[in-house]
Amino acid sequence: MLISLNWLRDFVDLPAELDPHELAERLTMVTAEVESVEQIAVEAAGLLAAEVLSCRPISGTRQLWRTEVSTGRQQFVTVTAAEGLATGQRLLYAPPGAQLPGIGNVGRSTVADHKSEGMIVPGEAVGITQATQQAVFLPPSVQVGSIVDRADLADWVIEIDNKAITHRPDLWGHYGIAREVAAIYGLPLKPYQAFITPLEQMEDSALPQIPLVIDDPDKCPRYSGLLIDGLVSQPSPLRMQARLSHVGLRPIDLIVDLTNYVMAELAQPMHAFDGHQVDRIEVAVAKSGERFTTLDGLERVMPAGALMIQSARRNVAVAGIMGGSESEVTSATTRILLESANFEPVTIRRCASALGHRTEASARFEKSLDPANTVLGIARFVELAKAELPDLRMASTLSDCYPKKPHPVSVEVDLEFVDRFVGRHIERRRVCQILESLEFELTPTGDRKIRVSVPSFRATRDISMDADVIEEVARFVGYENIEPRLPAVELRRFEPNPLHRLERRSLEMLCGALGFAEIQSYIWYDASWLSVLGFAPGPCLTLRNPPASGLDVLRQTLAPDLLRSAERNRHHLERFGLVELGSVFLPAGADGRKTDLERRHLGLAFVLRGSGKDEDKCLEQIKAAVEVWAHQVLDRPAGFVAPSGESRWLWQHANKTAEVVIADKPVGYVTVVPDPLKGRIHQHLRRWSIALAELCLDGLLELPPIESHLPPVPSHPQVQLDFSILADADRSFVQIADLMKRFKHPLLRRLGFLGSYHSPSLPPGTRSLTLRAWIGHPQRTLTEDDRHQFEAAFTQFLAKNDLPLRS
Amino acid sequence: MSLIDQLDQIGQDARKAADEAGDAEALARTQSAVLGRKGSLTQLLRSLGKLDPQQRAQAGQAANQLKAELAELFAARRQQLLAESDRRQQDQSVWFDPTTPAPVRQIGSVHPVTAVQFEIEDIFTRLGFTIETGPEMDTEYYNFDALNTPSTHPARDMQDTFWLTNGMLLRTQTSAVQVRAMEKFGPPLRVVVPGRCFRAETVDASHNNTFHQLEGLVVDRSISIANLIATMKLLLREVFGRDLPVRLRPGFFPFVEPGFELDMTCQICDGAGCKTCSRTGWIEMLPCGMVHPNVLRAGKVDPQEYTGFAFGLGLTRLAMMKYGISDIRTLTSPDLRGLNRPELLYGPTIIERS
Repeated sequence: MLISLNWLRDFVDLPAELDPHELAERLTMVTAEVESVEQIAVEAAGLLAAEVLSCRPISGTRQLWRTEVSTGRQQFVTVTAAEGLATGQRLLYAPPGAQLPGIGNVGRSTVADHKSEGMIVPGEAVGITQATQQAVFLPPSVQVGSIVDRADLADWVIEIDNKAITHRPDLWGHYGIAREVAAIYGLPLKPYQAFITPLEQMEDSALPQIPLVIDDPDKCPRYSGLLIDGLVSQPSPLRMQARLSHVGLRPIDLIVDLTNYVMAELAQPMHAFDGHQVDRIEVAVAKSGERFTTLDGLERVMPAGALMIQSARRNVAVAGIMGGSESEVTSATTRILLESANFEPVTIRRCASALGHRTEASARFEKSLDPANTVLGIARFVELAKAELPDLRMASTLSDCYPKKPHPVSVEVDLEFVDRFVGRHIERRRVCQILESLEFELTPTGDRKIRVSVPSFRATRDISMDADVIEEVARFVGYENIEPRLPAVELRRFEPNPLHRLERRSLEMLCGALGFAEIQSYIWYDASWLSVLGFAPGPCLTLRNPPASGLDVLRQTLAPDLLRSAERNRHHLERFGLVELGSVFLPAGADGRKTDLERRHLGLAFVLRGSGKDEDKCLEQIKAAVEVWAHQVLDRPAGFVAPSGESRWLWQHANKTAEVVIADKPVGYVTVVPDPLKGRIHQHLRRWSIALAELCLDGLLELPPIESHLPPVPSHPQVQLDFSILADADRSFVQIADLMKRFKHPLLRRLGFLGSYHSPSLPPGTRSLTLRAWIGHPQRTLTEDDRHQFEAAFTQFLAKNDLPLRS
Repeated sequence: MSLIDQLDQIGQDARKAADEAGDAEALARTQSAVLGRKGSLTQLLRSLGKLDPQQRAQAGQAANQLKAELAELFAARRQQLLAESDRRQQDQSVWFDPTTPAPVRQIGSVHPVTAVQFEIEDIFTRLGFTIETGPEMDTEYYNFDALNTPSTHPARDMQDTFWLTNGMLLRTQTSAVQVRAMEKFGPPLRVVVPGRCFRAETVDASHNNTFHQLEGLVVDRSISIANLIATMKLLLREVFGRDLPVRLRPGFFPFVEPGFELDMTCQICDGAGCKTCSRTGWIEMLPCGMVHPNVLRAGKVDPQEYTGFAFGLGLTRLAMMKYGISDIRTLTSPDLRGLNRPELLYGPTIIERS
């Protein structure tokens, strides 16, 4: 929202030497963030109001006119590119000797073989928003030859962040900002009544009422209207044009400018209908799919629930958003029906957003405007119009349909609570002074209690409870005047969050000790990447409004992004580990799920250059990481078992895939990425090995603590004996391990796994496993005999089970 | 010779012998001749019994002092002789460059946002906060309604929400966990919630539709604005390692009343005004405020009895500031080079140019 400093000065006598930057700073600290402060410095002098005597195009040129102007005592001929000039118009003229910004001294010259004296001032030269090269037209009330007051043109513009005032409907107009500024500087705010003449004083009781009907008072709590005669289409006064321009509203013509001016001043949007087209009003809800042409010439389809202004049940405006083209005022308009209404904010917001068309008016209605302002707005319009139009007269009485008056709001404030809530003592006198400067009315209700009556312009949404009132006090006391003090709190126990603990420890361990690098990917798939992989994700959760097409499917696995990162980083790294810890989303229906679920997954990838044997090393790296992670973070071993069915994911190797089991629960898988898939990503990637692991963390949160009795340190030395055995390749480690558990020997203290070996040098269809036995006796040192006897017994057991020693 | 003179003599002889011993064995023999069972000092100590009590005490003290001194002397001399002989036995001609780094290996790294997140978590853990998490896919209730933002509220439009076809949404703010935390713990409460948030924004160098926040919530009896300011100042001091000027000014968020924006002195220009801070000298750092009574009620907390404050820290932005990351998209890229110092990826660095 743009605020003109000149305009504020109408309502508060700010010191002449006030630094606008300082004002902006104080507004930021007390009221709402100021985004910028801009000076409109019009370096002009000697500008006059002139009358056009004649204007004709210069032959041989396309855009130049020879124009004669009069400044009363003198006449000048000037060549101009300004459009739309006509005899009798008054406009802003820079005679020879005047000064204009960017031009300097205006003089006499020859343009297109014509003499040209001075120049017709283009709007942009003096900060008035006009089409390029457009002259600044002046109203007939301006005396020809009068000197233009530069003070009307030079200004400071303060831009307030709209987001900072969404809860403050009163701040969407200059008067509301002026109220804050007055309170900040401790200056009086001029009452708005001083800027209007009460309409009753102008009314003639013989005038008719405008017939007003509101179908749904919830959507339109108040509608005020007035028929006005004696209007003439003419330019607005220069000062009004300048102010509107400074706050981003383009001056058009007196009637339209006045409605905008009142809106920018009082935050009350208004609309002028052509009074010959519209002389009665009904406020009604649109029929679904109804079409309506707005005054910008576009035919729009009205969304369901849109509120329409009708006249004799014919649509004439979309309530609170925009008027219709048929009933708009034109240069021929002499009578208007002036609308000043109050609409329900949600209705307006929904309609504007459904139409995709937010206007200055709808932006204000959305904020819950003060219904008391409708009549004030009309009175202000009339007051300003009267000054320009001597023939202006009312053609109806003020017609006001106000079916839904708001209840007055008051809040009882306990001053002790104020002190406690703010964290410092604030004198009662200071509290009262602040609130009264903001037009709250106060009634003491006790020693330390005050009943605060909220003015109507703060009561629509903004202030309804004591915390709201305390904010008013605190922001004027100044947050910098509150001594920081750490809270005195009550100690208590918090149930730990096992998910957070698991996630944090996992990342710290994997990234800190095991050398993995963390990535964070988007939680939606990228369809084009899935297509590279050839992966069709099947049923998934989807976004209704994805960030872009092809990004609408939420991931149910982290693997595609790990593969993408593997491919990206292999160009500059030869051997690396990746980890991602994030959410995946699983739809109901699939896998017997009853509801849609979010799950936390841990994804690991290990990537190294080389294939063949390197692939097994790569898988070993991932398995080792999973084992170490399980021990370190979950305090239990991870087991690997053959997957229970066909592999589910495209990136799972047909046989080099294992299910990961922790605490007897399947939690995920480890695999190596098969060659064909690597080849689809990039031909060169076939020469790389990628091992993946993906584990679901949600099932691992509430594992019971493991009982860990540490064995006593043996008091007599133990002996380690290694046995390399040959096993049929189709016997799994788990099967062999189970078999071993049946071997009993009094000296055996521990049997462990050292490694597995698979090579063409072994007999076909076999592999070698190396086991290590720890033997010992609790009461004595072993003898050579003990050792032989154990070896014999164990070798015999192995042979009996078709596990001969590898010679 | 008096006893004292005898002690002096023993001491002098022992020191000389220790000095002259050429190796540890010779030293051991010397030591034994003085301090051993039949050593000169040991024998002298034994003879003290014959003296009258006054002399005995005096001489005994001197003898024990000498014994301790010599034991220390022999131990030190022994180490010296061993070190000399150990060194003689090592082959010092073997080539060795003490400056060569270890060969390249995987170092590993957490994501910059994770690093910042852990750091902030630790700060709050030290202050007695607990850490909570919440779902990224959440309901309209927790993300908006429970936060005093009903569907009629204009603020619903301020945040562009990603909606799922199942009617749920991707949370737009970690504030969505405020009411969940109150439901879980009840008051009094001190909790921080790190997590990922999503907003349907146009992605460019400084905006992403995916980012991390850390929510903070304190609910207790008599929590005040002064408490909020002090806690925020403390947080910033811990993060930046020094006290920073901050300012609190009004800000509007539906779930707090009053709401504030906490600005801190711009770290680029130190408050002088530069491009980063739009020439104001201040950087918007922490939206915060006093918890709205309706939010407390939604969390089954009685606003008559308890008050609270809440804040939202942009972890992603903090990580960008801390690591000098200028393009926010770097953080969601699969490329490790944007997320790590080069030596973490490639090992020891000799020349580094960007």
